[in-house]
Amino acid sequence: MSQLQPLIQLQQTAESLMNIQEMQFWLEKAVTWGQADSPDTQKDTCLHLSRLKDFLQQLLTHINNMSSTTETMKRLPFLGQFLGRLCWNPYVTADATSRRLLFQCLWGLYSENPGNAVERKANQWIRKVFCQLATEEDDAAAQALMKHMGVPPEEYHLKVLRKMVALMQENIGKSCSSICNINQRCSCDRIKATSETCVPLITCPEAAPLIGVLLQQPVTCVRAALSEDFLDALSSAYSSQCLSLEEQAVVSLWYHKLSSLEEAVLSLLECVLANTGSMPQKLEQQLAQSLLPKACAQHCSIFLVVNDIFRSILKQADGAESVKYLIQSFTSCFLGELALLQHQTSVSLKALFPQSPQSLLVPLLTLPSEMPREAWRHHLNWLSGSLQRLTEEEEEGDGDSISSTRGHHKLFEAWFLLVQCAQWVQVAVQLLVTSGPEDCGPLLWLLTFYHHPTNRGHHRALQLVHAREAWDHLHSLFLALSRPLPADHLQSLVTLLSPQPQRPALSPLLILNLLVNFAVFFQQSLSGSTEILQTVRKRSGLVDEAMCVLNSLELRLNGGSCISSDTNRLHLRIKALQNTLTHRREALCPAENQAHALARSKTGGSTYPHTNA
Amino acid sequence: MRSGKSGTNGHPDDRRVKNNECPPADSERRERHMEAVLKNLASAAELLAAAAHSGVVEQWDKQTLSRAFHWARYCEHLFSRFHSNPTMRGVMEKQLQLTNQSLGAAFPEYTEVSFSDLSRCQHLLLVGLLNNPELPVSIMKTLFDTWSPANTKQSEYQDVTGFCNHIIQCKSACKVLSPFTDVSAVGADAEVQGVMLMERLGALLSRGGEACRAEHFLDSVLQGCEGAAEHFCLVIAAALLTTKNPAAQTASQGFLLDWLRRKHSVLQLMCSALPTALLIDLAKEHLEFRDAYCDVLKKWASDMEYSMREGEWVQTSTKRTVSFQKLTECFLALFEACPPLREDVERELNALNIADGDFDVRGLSVWGDLLSAFNN
Repeated sequence: MSQLQPLIQLQQTAESLMNIQEMQFWLEKAVTWGQADSPDTQKDTCLHLSRLKDFLQQLLTHINNMSSTTETMKRLPFLGQFLGRLCWNPYVTADATSRRLLFQCLWGLYSENPGNAVERKANQWIRKVFCQLATEEDDAAAQALMKHMGVPPEEYHLKVLRKMVALMQENIGKSCSSICNINQRCSCDRIKATSETCVPLITCPEAAPLIGVLLQQPVTCVRAALSEDFLDALSSAYSSQCLSLEEQAVVSLWYHKLSSLEEAVLSLLECVLANTGSMPQKLEQQLAQSLLPKACAQHCSIFLVVNDIFRSILKQADGAESVKYLIQSFTSCFLGELALLQHQTSVSLKALFPQSPQSLLVPLLTLPSEMPREAWRHHLNWLSGSLQRLTEEEEEGDGDSISSTRGHHKLFEAWFLLVQCAQWVQVAVQLLVTSGPEDCGPLLWLLTFYHHPTNRGHHRALQLVHAREAWDHLHSLFLALSRPLPADHLQSLVTLLSPQPQRPALSPLLILNLLVNFAVFFQQSLSGSTEILQTVRKRSGLVDEAMCVLNSLELRLNGGSCISSDTNRLHLRIKALQNTLTHRREALCPAENQAHALARSKTGGSTYPHTNA
Repeated sequence: MRSGKSGTNGHPDDRRVKNNECPPADSERRERHMEAVLKNLASAAELLAAAAHSGVVEQWDKQTLSRAFHWARYCEHLFSRFHSNPTMRGVMEKQLQLTNQSLGAAFPEYTEVSFSDLSRCQHLLLVGLLNNPELPVSIMKTLFDTWSPANTKQSEYQDVTGFCNHIIQCKSACKVLSPFTDVSAVGADAEVQGVMLMERLGALLSRGGEACRAEHFLDSVLQGCEGAAEHFCLVIAAALLTTKNPAAQTASQGFLLDWLRRKHSVLQLMCSALPTALLIDLAKEHLEFRDAYCDVLKKWASDMEYSMREGEWVQTSTKRTVSFQKLTECFLALFEACPPLREDVERELNALNIADGDFDVRGLSVWGDLLSAFNN
């Protein structure tokens, strides 16, 4: 124990030594700032503000660790002077955090029960400082006038602040609005200086309009850059939720500051992937709320950054289904926002998707709903063929390292574009249900490629075989008319759906997707589908995933991209299958269950108005 | 010493309504209402005195504090309701006089409260509290609390947590932004003061008839600005240049210009103290000001005499506000802004020059020399 004592003392001395040196630095700063009120000192104060806040935090801890004010004053004799000077520095008192820390330091020096003259004097001084800060009026003439007009000081100051903000807003709008004459000095330097000055005002609610205008200034001039400190402070205040910005201001912030955009994207990913709930509708909501699709539509560069982040996440997550689904939804949201803006901007597809194979752009970006249903199969066959050719090219160039890297890259980009436009994959799955054995080749290829883009060890051929087998199996399963379904059929289904340890494994999700689509679209009784899904629920672990597929089918049905002549019937069918998965009809006896379901499917929902699409 | 009213929720005016009493005759009701108001006024003054000078504040908690500020706001409300009603105002002033007397006897350091002080009652309360050494630190900490409340009504009184914090933030923000507001010719503060002057004037004039009240108001403001007359000039300029709400504006601005024309000293001060550019803006905006300004320039010229020693025209008055050179510049700036004026003025100066003898020699007629300066 006795060995620790000198060590602690040494630590404390070291701490206080450090503080004294730092104290000296900051004291000198405070003196300099107080002496002159030139633009340079103003700039200097704003630049040092965040470091000053850190120092004040340290000081506060130090003060709180001391047993008494007397001790504090003994260790840091210039503390009072320092704090006092800061109190009269408007940059320090305007910023919410530095003001808070400053006040807390002062209160930390206040002694509830002063033990000596030093502490009593300190108490008096602290009270006086606070009193002056709150009640002293610099402009006696203005106050005399305001008194005559019956306007209290607090109202007056608020009005003046609002007036200043309004004046500055107007002025910023004016500078550099027209095409600058190169020889003429533009007033854009003011914008940078203004943004710097606004650093302490970021969390001041009255200054919000000014900050919004600064952020949304069109960047027409090289000199009209916003101060980095301003963007940093804004970004951290926004992410720690000390500040609320209007939508457009947020978009502008992301445009100006890459790190805040990255943070927003990562936080969206975290949020979405954390609750991998089976609600695609909720995902759409989350995406819209995040403002990211809108931002991407306004600024091509933002879209490119977001996609880069998506690419790296994809590569790490090794094709996780939820990530892929997010990317598809995001792209679809984005295209929706872009369409809204299209009359204002005219960004080419090439600019938005620079790395994707150009020949695939329009075919993939066209929505299924924009094409007649009869054309889907042909379209998909063409897509499948194009992608196949790409994979073959990539494989051919495997010898030469440079061309193979390029080949890999091209293939990855093609696959990435497919992921972004995965609604076509969903259409392929839907068509597989109604295909005959001779038609399903290209579609199965596309599906397999979507789930397994790389052909490591040249296993694709084997995977395709397995995919074909799975399709055959499902086809016959759903065709089976006997009830209940043969146990071995169901067993092999379960086997297909469970993770396969040996390679080349075919993704169980691929099979599940196919299965659910069969259950919904295959023209047979609901009871059969129900039974199969019950098996899924009871014996495979993939209930959530199946639910997800059902929900996204429902969404697509609403959106019109899987147009069917009996949308209503499909809705009811999906509903019934959802209930099966969620176990909701457990209360009813199973026989009733089946009878209900059967009756429903036969009458085609007579209780609801039947509309012909 | 009472530490503020207890038992009344909100304004006493509501008491009648709440008690569901059968409404008495109109005049009787008004009288009772008046009684209540006066009583409240007295209590509020007592509260202010106690807050500033007595030790009862030691017992105050957050609730008491909120209630005290609630009373202060009530007084501000009284002011805004009755300041232009001479009868009510008179009665209230009388009450305050009485209260002041008794409070002065009770507290040696007591400063009297007048009716016009009521407009800033919260500020007075704050000043009193913060200067009272008996104020508990906990109360101070509440006032300076830095976590801004969502202004929720926790109790029946509005939260005063962070009241001072907000004031300080506001004042500091103004200081931070003021170097950037040189876009305003008069400055943001003068602009705000100008708007308020116009608002007050407008309110007085809209009450119908009695332009003398508005006149009295302007006179009292002028008197109150003794020592800061130049500042008042700036505010007048700002007021005349405000473009907010143009409909009501013309009446008030017209009235102000009339008043200004009659107050020669103020007009002269304006013309000598304010920057020429600002005066030109005023001239462009208001014809009456243009003429008034022109008259002042002519008056200055007529007061000049030629000094052999300096070889130039100088003002005869002890206070030299303008040189001949400056005078010329002012005229020329005015002509540039209002071209039709030039012809009229030159014609007038010419006539005066002729009356002076129409000599072509420098130093004999200020008018002639001005004319030559114009045409150089």
